[in-house]
Amino acid sequence: MEDMIYVFDVEKDDFVRAGEASSNIKKILRQLGIDSGFIRKISIATYEAEMNIVIHSLGGQITLEVTPDFIKVTASDRGPGIADLELAMQEGYSTATEKVREMGFGAGMGLPNMKKCSDRFRVESSAEKGTVIAMEVDLKAGD
Amino acid sequence: MGEKYFHSVVLNDDNCVGCTSCLKICPTEAIRLREGKARIIGEKCIDCGECIRICPNHAKSAVTDTLEILNKFKYTIAIPSLVLYGQFPGKVGINKMLTAVKNVGFDEVYEASVGTEIITNVIKNHMLKNPNIKRPIINSTCPATLRLIQIRFPELLPNVADIETPMEIAARLAKADAVKKTGLTMEEIGVVFISPCTARMTSVTNPLGIEKSYIDGVLSMKAIFGEILRNIDSCKEEDITRSTKESLLWPLVGGQGEPLEIENYLAVDGIHEVIKVLEEVEMDKLDGLEFFEGMACIGGCAGGPLTIENPFIARSRMKALAKELPNSAADEDEIKEQIQMYKDGLIRLTEHIEPRAIMRLDDDISKSMKKMEMIKEMLKYLPGIDCGVCGAPTCRAFAEDIVKGENHKAICIVKTMESFKNKK
Repeated sequence: MEDMIYVFDVEKDDFVRAGEASSNIKKILRQLGIDSGFIRKISIATYEAEMNIVIHSLGGQITLEVTPDFIKVTASDRGPGIADLELAMQEGYSTATEKVREMGFGAGMGLPNMKKCSDRFRVESSAEKGTVIAMEVDLKAGD
Repeated sequence: MGEKYFHSVVLNDDNCVGCTSCLKICPTEAIRLREGKARIIGEKCIDCGECIRICPNHAKSAVTDTLEILNKFKYTIAIPSLVLYGQFPGKVGINKMLTAVKNVGFDEVYEASVGTEIITNVIKNHMLKNPNIKRPIINSTCPATLRLIQIRFPELLPNVADIETPMEIAARLAKADAVKKTGLTMEEIGVVFISPCTARMTSVTNPLGIEKSYIDGVLSMKAIFGEILRNIDSCKEEDITRSTKESLLWPLVGGQGEPLEIENYLAVDGIHEVIKVLEEVEMDKLDGLEFFEGMACIGGCAGGPLTIENPFIARSRMKALAKELPNSAADEDEIKEQIQMYKDGLIRLTEHIEPRAIMRLDDDISKSMKKMEMIKEMLKYLPGIDCGVCGAPTCRAFAEDIVKGENHKAICIVKTMESFKNKK
């Protein structure tokens, strides 16, 4: 059986549509009949990734891939890349501006939360190519 | 569909003109037009009553009992919803209203306020003091919100406060008191709720979280209002009410969160707004939220589909009446006793509430995936204007119905017109 792939564009600074990709992904997974616990994990991780693209990047896209065994969400952007990946993975570390923080974002929990919600998590970043975050959640294991 | 899902919302075919108003407003996309008439998909309906409220032709109504139910019992008790107090024009006092209710033919009137006080005390002094109870605690009191969580936010079911509604608690206490007072058995005593709410009717027939309701009958507030109004001036007023400020404000949005005296609570009214905020709660976006109060109707129960008065006017009247009432004043021993009642399972939701995944296309994931691909393909050709003429609320729902095999005669009129034009 072929895997399903959905692609959503996410624009820089577009707070009007921010969250749409993750909410669409949530709807798709619900209709597929995926267990609500998995849906919650993926939605939280996807939302964080989506907000990161809106706030920090020059724009990018989110790809949802569904197979009968696992779900994969890939968030990729066009730059400028994460300066210090190790620091960014620490809880509470944030580069968000005061303005963004006032809007309730940029608490420095984005990447750590994404990692926490996924069974496999990979992040690659460079100034030239931008950032790619790949998150997978297994559909069979445990609860 | 069928018997498995009892619903209080019903359609009067003669009045339905097939206008699509209800189709569009339904928060769970539970309505389709078939052969020009609205049909409710039983499995999806949460009994919120939005369709009753919007129908311009009054084709939707609620199944309730009639006054004849009083003949079935030796002793009858009325429990009017507290929003009844906001329905009377002019300066009518609560005791006058309650006496008028009694004179419709009941032996006794019992106020739901007893229940509201107990719920507040248990949540405030027990649940909020226990850090192991999942946050935010979600009110269990709005039956439409509860059914919404069951089908759409199953991950939040563990957050629902496992305590009964004021109506159930009041019914239980009223029956126990009446048994003592009259010497009759439980079965000989009938407790009848006067309801502003369609979903409440459903939860009596088909309860969630409890095995059996203590309510023996439900009367629509709208249907019985005339009888009550006629009695207002003719009866000799009795001293009945024990309501407090807090209990009178309780059914209005915010009335459950406010008396808990916590900073971080959120009260939301209107089913579409409740859905939006629950999405945020489900995504853990509302950090530190202690209590969530979701009310399906605008303004809270005062906006119920079976009320007479506009919810804002009713609210203002109830607030005015509340000013005259004493503050709630349960002492420490009473609160301890109430918490014990909860711990003993007497006023607790003891039955597990099963999630119901109504959104899924198929039980088998790979079949769902195939169906999803078909929907995606169909959506490329559909006009995407969600006109509702085909009988489905959106183009997407139209496609879903086809792949689920629920609509074999489906035709998109917009598309047909287009191809007709092109041929010319």
